[in-house]
Amino acid sequence: MRKLLLLTAAVGLFAGTALAQGNDIEIVFAEDRVDHATFDPRVTQSRHEEQVITQVFDQLLAADENGTIHPGLATEWQVSEDGLSFTFQLRDDVTFHDGTPFNAEAVKFTFDSIVDPDLGSQGAVDIIGPYASTEVLGEHEVRVTFSRPYGAALGAFAESELSIVSPTAVESLGNDGFAQAPVGTGPFKFIEWEKGKQVVLERNDDYNWAPGYMNHQGPSNVSRAVVRFIPDASTRVAALEAGEVQVSELVPALDMRRLSSGDEFDTIVGNAAGLPFGALFNTSKGPFADKAVRQAFMHAIDRPRLAENLFFGFADPAFGPISSSTPSYWAGNDAYYGFDLDKAGELLESSGWKLGDDGVRYKDGEPLSIYFPSLLEPDTAVAVQADVKRAGFDVRVENVLKARQDELIFANDYDMLVIRWVSNDPGVLSIPFHSRNIVEPGKFKFNWARYADDGLDKLLEDAESAATPDDRDKLYGAIQKQVMDEGIFLPIHNQVQTIAHSSDLTGFRLAAGQWQLRFYEVTRTN
Amino acid sequence: MIYFVRRIVGIIPVLLVTWTLVFIVLEIIPGDPVNLMLAGRPASEEVRQRERERLGLDKPVIVRYGSFLVRAVKGDLGDSFRTRQPVTEMILEQLRPTLELSAGGFLVGVTLGVVLGVVAGIRPNSWLDTSAMFVALIGVSLPSFWTGMTLIFVFGTTLRWVPIVGDGITALILPSITVGLFLSGGLARLIRSSILEVMNQDYIRTARAKGLAHWVVVMKHAMRNALIPPVTLLGVQFGLLITGAVITESVFARPGLGQLLLQSVLNKDIPLVQALVVYATGVYIVLNLIVDLLYGVIDPRIKLEQAT
Repeated sequence: MRKLLLLTAAVGLFAGTALAQGNDIEIVFAEDRVDHATFDPRVTQSRHEEQVITQVFDQLLAADENGTIHPGLATEWQVSEDGLSFTFQLRDDVTFHDGTPFNAEAVKFTFDSIVDPDLGSQGAVDIIGPYASTEVLGEHEVRVTFSRPYGAALGAFAESELSIVSPTAVESLGNDGFAQAPVGTGPFKFIEWEKGKQVVLERNDDYNWAPGYMNHQGPSNVSRAVVRFIPDASTRVAALEAGEVQVSELVPALDMRRLSSGDEFDTIVGNAAGLPFGALFNTSKGPFADKAVRQAFMHAIDRPRLAENLFFGFADPAFGPISSSTPSYWAGNDAYYGFDLDKAGELLESSGWKLGDDGVRYKDGEPLSIYFPSLLEPDTAVAVQADVKRAGFDVRVENVLKARQDELIFANDYDMLVIRWVSNDPGVLSIPFHSRNIVEPGKFKFNWARYADDGLDKLLEDAESAATPDDRDKLYGAIQKQVMDEGIFLPIHNQVQTIAHSSDLTGFRLAAGQWQLRFYEVTRTN
Repeated sequence: MIYFVRRIVGIIPVLLVTWTLVFIVLEIIPGDPVNLMLAGRPASEEVRQRERERLGLDKPVIVRYGSFLVRAVKGDLGDSFRTRQPVTEMILEQLRPTLELSAGGFLVGVTLGVVLGVVAGIRPNSWLDTSAMFVALIGVSLPSFWTGMTLIFVFGTTLRWVPIVGDGITALILPSITVGLFLSGGLARLIRSSILEVMNQDYIRTARAKGLAHWVVVMKHAMRNALIPPVTLLGVQFGLLITGAVITESVFARPGLGQLLLQSVLNKDIPLVQALVVYATGVYIVLNLIVDLLYGVIDPRIKLEQAT
């Protein structure tokens, strides 16, 4: 009798499993890059590689799509009074995909290896900031210490670059081997990487430690997820419509509009954090050496209309040197440089640029001509050109390749250049605005405005080591204000991650920074 | 046999010159390889120096040239700057999809090219000739990305007969047609003119006078003599294919050597570019040899021993 009962129970269990498998979902995600180099979170600096890393790894803290911090692999944390040390209590029920336990030693191993030059970290080494050491206080308690106050620390512990890696896997595979077959604690296991084609992920059946803010707990409903590399945007959309992929990133705006108007597909738009798509004015020479000319140029552009025309409502106009989804965004940005042709005219008149018969302004017989080599988004460059023509600017747009742009940057032969940069950290402002990043012979850097100001440099340095989040917001606010006052950067539109997916599925969630898409919570629509 | 040995030995100077050129290009390209490898990361001078030693960049040029040759002979062309994998491994990984597409495209191209060319050649100035040459003209003129997208739209999205980016043999159909259509155009035109020339020869008139059937005259007497120019063209075209069909690979999201070459150039991954150039050189040398050998098979009057 007892045997029979057991048997019945077993059959019941089997039926249960079969039922669960019936609900299993397999998804293919179309990704626009093919040239991935590493899937080691400690090494990468590519937002495309992070699309895979996001699924495979967890971090000490978890940030939702708006950047709000929640408990992750650490359940609690305390900050020392001097702001230098962070003590974390870790979950005790977590295992890596290779079966080894997640513990304090793994945290120490991960952070120590990031600052080891042998690893060759490109992103994490910056994000970990003034890291000094990690102390193991117990099996599930660690203390991380910095050498100076680091206001960005809490946000940093939630970044995918500071994901906790399996020490056993790193030791057995070596750093280069781990980059090809990473092992984490995340909801998906890394199964296979077919170079130039796809990465295959499978559900981690043991996963029971999802951050509390998520709408799902336990193992994912998605049993298998393939990240398929499809570089051509038209092919991505065709494969989506043919049902070969269920979700695609970087869908062209026109297709977004078409797909969102039917019933078969839903769309998601991410406003990427970091530098918006914009242009740096060359302040070292030519007409843009004059602040009034730069300001006039910005007043002459109708950004909301331009964004609407180019992206059919799928991208918002940008108003500040960082996008509004970036931490420490300064609300004051929104008031700057509204569309005002009269104001633009006044500013140019005051600087001595008089309107000629041909609609172009002149000063001392020289026309107000602007050389605009454009590497990205040729349509946007032409739209800008058309807008500012009404104020008397004669803009010469030249579509260039990367090699040509590099040459022009080294030769200081341009009046403006476009830039964009996805980053969760307002510290990204140092890249184009700190004077140490002005291009020198043989050293490629990104301060293409060639703007040097000791005051701004000091603010940027202070902001990086701000002790509290409040100080940090204040300092980054002051930085954004100075950049806008000086008119060295023309924000044009937010960088958008345009995603379309089959409407049979729901639960896709953007990661913090609004670029990568999390597959964990995906389920079928009822 | 002597001929064969002589040809094999002849490969050595060609490879040597290619390797030397590639090495010189690597030397004169501006930019410190260590900086490229660190991808702009601010690294201390200590780290840089260690990397230089690891790559052997601290040694004099002539020593590095020597060791480059020694390693190249052993088949070691170095590690990629970006992925730190051996470049030969990276090329081997992409070889299979490339060969698949080359074979598929070649099959479609040769079949279509021969049919169109022969049909046009034996009935010059007829409506058959005009339509065959029209198809051939379209084949060579249409850019691969347009052909590819149109095929995807018709057979993938609308009719859903074949997968667009799927796996297996069915996913090879559309890319093969895209490549094959392009190949067939040039081939058909060459076969047509070659047949036209042959058909006016005395031995064709003799064959006909003997009372042989029309198709025997065409297939046995004319074709064989008309084959030499098309075979030469096919050698070059096949070489193009197995060094990577970059646009077709991109449109159909196929891995392959074309993508690898494109990415290596965009990323300034010098060891990888270098290895791909060496690979391409090798491919052309081997293909040329095969084509030369085929001449002898097609037309036994061509004596290989004298060909050099």
